[in-house]
Amino acid sequence: MAAALRPAILRHIRLSPSPVAAAAAAAHPYSLERGLARAMSSHDAHITRDEVVDRLVDVLKSHPKVDPSKVNPEAHFEKDLGLDSLDTVEVVMAIEEEFKLEIPDQEADKIDSLPLAIEYVANHPMAA
Amino acid sequence: MATTAGYLARRAAQKERVRLLYRSALKDTLNWAVHRHLFYQDASDLRDKFETNRHVEDPDVIDRLIDDAEAQYRNFQHPDPYIVPWAPGGSKFTRNPPPPQGIEIIYNYGKEN
Repeated sequence: MAAALRPAILRHIRLSPSPVAAAAAAAHPYSLERGLARAMSSHDAHITRDEVVDRLVDVLKSHPKVDPSKVNPEAHFEKDLGLDSLDTVEVVMAIEEEFKLEIPDQEADKIDSLPLAIEYVANHPMAA
Repeated sequence: MATTAGYLARRAAQKERVRLLYRSALKDTLNWAVHRHLFYQDASDLRDKFETNRHVEDPDVIDRLIDDAEAQYRNFQHPDPYIVPWAPGGSKFTRNPPPPQGIEIIYNYGKEN
């Protein structure tokens, strides 16, 4: 009786993911492949804020018109680094390429310092 | 006083137009360049074109220069620009979107016991 009822009941309930379900999913041949696909997906590369800061500072240091010793995460492009407005445009474009972003023109125009750039990139879901 | 404020506002608007134009033109230069080393020279030439008129002071002349430059940019725009893959128009845009929240796959459906 119980053995007959069990499949009938199971057919109508859905369990939320539990350790048992996770183990069953892990036993499935495709689960490893799925895990790898997620890890390699560029959309899921969650970069940490520290990494964003490091890479942004590197981008600024490699700009030919910037004195690398003056670059720090608090720097303003024009006031601290001595760039002009067109240099700032170039820097923002370099930042876009570094993080594979497409920043709308009006927003890119407002990024004029490293704190703002860090804020924008760190909060961008597609930054990679 | 009002004329000074008006003058400054006009200059600020012109500066913004130049920044946006330089940004679009620089991106377009990258679209036209087949290789990076070609892009560097083209970008440098583009910058020189902007630098020649750096010290122009007369607002009307500046307006005319910007109009000319924008027209030139529109004429030479790339027909198939690079778009970041996830952005609208990009090659990955809306491809394989993640399933909605709350949807899950049951791999052993029907063989639970």
